[in-house]
Amino acid sequence: MNAVVRDAVTLVETEFRVRVRRVLGDRRKLVGTVSTFLLFGVFFPWLSRDGVVAFGADAAAGPVPLGPLGAAFTGLAIVCVGVGASTGFNQEAAGTVGPLVRTSVPPTAVSLARLGSELARGLSLFVLLGAVMLGFLWMGAGGPLVPAVVATGALPVLVAGLLVGRVAGDAARYANVAAGISLWVKAVAAVVLTVAFFVGTQALLRTEGAEGEGGLAAVSVPPFLPGTPMQAYAGVVTAPLGSTPTLPGTAVAAVTLTAIPLALVAAVRVETRLLFRASASETDQVSGTRGVPRPFTVGPAARVAWRYLLRTRRDPRILSHLMLVLFMGLGGFGNVIQDPGAIFDVGPAIGVIGGATLAGAAYCMNPLGDDVDQLPLLLTSADSTGVLLRGRALAGATLGLPLALGFGVPLAAVGESPLFAVWLAVIAVVLIFAGAGVALGIGAVAPKFEQYEYMSVERPHPSNYAIFGYLMGVLLTGGIGFVLAGRLATGAPGVLVTTALTVYLAVVGAAGWGGYVYANRRFDALTLDDF
Amino acid sequence: MSEPSPPNTDRDPASGETDTSNADPALFARDLTKRYGETTALDSLDLTVDSGVVFGFLGPNGAGKTTTMRIFTGLIEPTDGEARVAGVSSENRAKLVDRIGLLPEEPPLYDELTGREQLQFAADLRDIRWETVSDRALSLCDRLDLREDLDRRIDGYSKGMRQKTAFVQAVQHDPSVVFLDEPTSGLDPRAAKTLRELILDLADSDATVFLSTHILPVVEEIADEVGVLHEGRLVAQGPIDELVASAGGAADAPSAAGSLDDGGAADGSAPESADLEDAFLSLTSREDTVWTPDS
Repeated sequence: MNAVVRDAVTLVETEFRVRVRRVLGDRRKLVGTVSTFLLFGVFFPWLSRDGVVAFGADAAAGPVPLGPLGAAFTGLAIVCVGVGASTGFNQEAAGTVGPLVRTSVPPTAVSLARLGSELARGLSLFVLLGAVMLGFLWMGAGGPLVPAVVATGALPVLVAGLLVGRVAGDAARYANVAAGISLWVKAVAAVVLTVAFFVGTQALLRTEGAEGEGGLAAVSVPPFLPGTPMQAYAGVVTAPLGSTPTLPGTAVAAVTLTAIPLALVAAVRVETRLLFRASASETDQVSGTRGVPRPFTVGPAARVAWRYLLRTRRDPRILSHLMLVLFMGLGGFGNVIQDPGAIFDVGPAIGVIGGATLAGAAYCMNPLGDDVDQLPLLLTSADSTGVLLRGRALAGATLGLPLALGFGVPLAAVGESPLFAVWLAVIAVVLIFAGAGVALGIGAVAPKFEQYEYMSVERPHPSNYAIFGYLMGVLLTGGIGFVLAGRLATGAPGVLVTTALTVYLAVVGAAGWGGYVYANRRFDALTLDDF
Repeated sequence: MSEPSPPNTDRDPASGETDTSNADPALFARDLTKRYGETTALDSLDLTVDSGVVFGFLGPNGAGKTTTMRIFTGLIEPTDGEARVAGVSSENRAKLVDRIGLLPEEPPLYDELTGREQLQFAADLRDIRWETVSDRALSLCDRLDLREDLDRRIDGYSKGMRQKTAFVQAVQHDPSVVFLDEPTSGLDPRAAKTLRELILDLADSDATVFLSTHILPVVEEIADEVGVLHEGRLVAQGPIDELVASAGGAADAPSAAGSLDDGGAADGSAPESADLEDAFLSLTSREDTVWTPDS
């Protein structure tokens, strides 16, 4: 066993060195990592600074407010389970030395190393955040006792959450590997689970009382089990501050502590099995050549577009990077699911802005980057990369147009007015094609040629920052479009509104064209030296 | 080593385009150099290859063969010097693509497409209607026993089938110069033999085949001419028998190595016991042919 642990430690150290060198050797990765740590470790805690300081003061004065502390522990558990599940499903650790490692050290050591490496990485995100939050608590309490007690209570929740999440992620991956089901079924299941997780979390953690009253003190966890478990747990860990431990609280603490070794053993065992389990169905094996249907026969770019769509139909993992877009759009979905009547309010935006987002983000955010293995063919066959870029834009528009014109615009017609819907349709079409052009330009500025694993798919995914920036741009531009459509739908738009619409369409169209032209020039000059 | 024949680089004053008449060699390189930082991958390569020949390009691992092929096909740019394919600069990609076909070492295929869809896609990239090239493509597939598998997904193909598909993709549009990097890699003996026959057919139809491989018997069988690259420098070029003779003679007199035109056996014939492998080993092991940054 000692040898297994020693091998695992060696692997973790090697993996850590490789990761650090990769980050330090790539300026973009370095900036991204530092930004993530600052965002997660400083910016987020800063937003809740006043509430945490006030909580520290209340806890020091007694009695400890168990509601917000229980809510904080619940939130921590949810985040940790999510991080753990994500790492368990993706299983990317030890990937850099995978084949060598698998044939050199015991499988248990490999699993243990993967687990250790990923957990260390997950925990690293919490170190700065925890330190800042505990600092605020210390400020509020005026001494170290309150932060020490809270940290002591949070640590088991954090570790147990990561490990239990890891087991859940492992189980999902095991089912994914073992089940020979369609990739599309898996993709739909992943989307449904993501939405359900988000909506469920919203329902679980809700703010009581009038908005603006009470801050963190107004946050509580609904009693879905007798004894409101995490508040009860908070009562146990804050006993040194004067709280009275209850039996349910002690039980929760015992379960939490017991979960740590059990989940560790379970995760190692499942992951060791996964090492030797070949995927039953990596792709949807459908034989038979599909001809190019009308209207995609009109030209080479359209035929290229059809092939991108066909490849996606056969392997939806090509669009795995769109999960980020889904995450960012969860707020809208959550509103609709919790209040179906809101469909007429947010539906047009989901349709039009979602359509424009899809048109750009689906195939245009990393043009040629995600064709890196085929570049020797592409660069020695096409006299200009324009045919590929136009093909990608058309493929994206083919996905975006139905969402905008078939979902968003009809909802606008019902929820607002037919005239509003007509103007919205005009704006949507321009937004979608211009969006694809802008996305091509962004993709040309920040191409990604290296393969990495995201959502369990290893390929050159587009830059998350590029997708995020593009979505923000679409939100802003689309928002202006909605305002203009609203003014135009009044029936008698003045010169100002008409001029504004003309300028808007001209600017958006020019941006799209400019993006395409820039990408075309940039990629026509692309060589294999560039990456 | 002889100076390369200058290509016809006359330009049309009106269009500024190069005259790509038959007077141009299929491949021409002058002082071609590629550096990666401190490393020189290709060092002042001078090379001329005439049309309609199978040119075997040999060299040890890391000698610069792939780099040379990538420069000629416009996939990378030279640090110095120039490369032309049928009179077209390798940096003029828009014109170059009409003349070349490339089979790189890793077949550039999309796993999600069927073989037929992949070939159609390649035609679309060149803006060529599939109907125009389908007879030729399907005929090649017939000869390579690929026809029955054309409607299967490529991710279900064996390595040999992928190689065959990529070969058809590289030549279906009837290019004037075909670049093949280890074309028989992964092929069974029967398929490898068919591929060698196809390469000879290409040369018979006046296409030039630039063949990079480590499999010397393949080169001996089908190449009209060979070039040997060693540590970024072309250490020999010429017909195989002259190369073998040169190397055989040079084995007795090492200082004569490096140029077929300058050295070799007095009667131009190879010693009975020498073959291309001996010549290759001899040429790529001599200190006086090895370039170093200090030399």
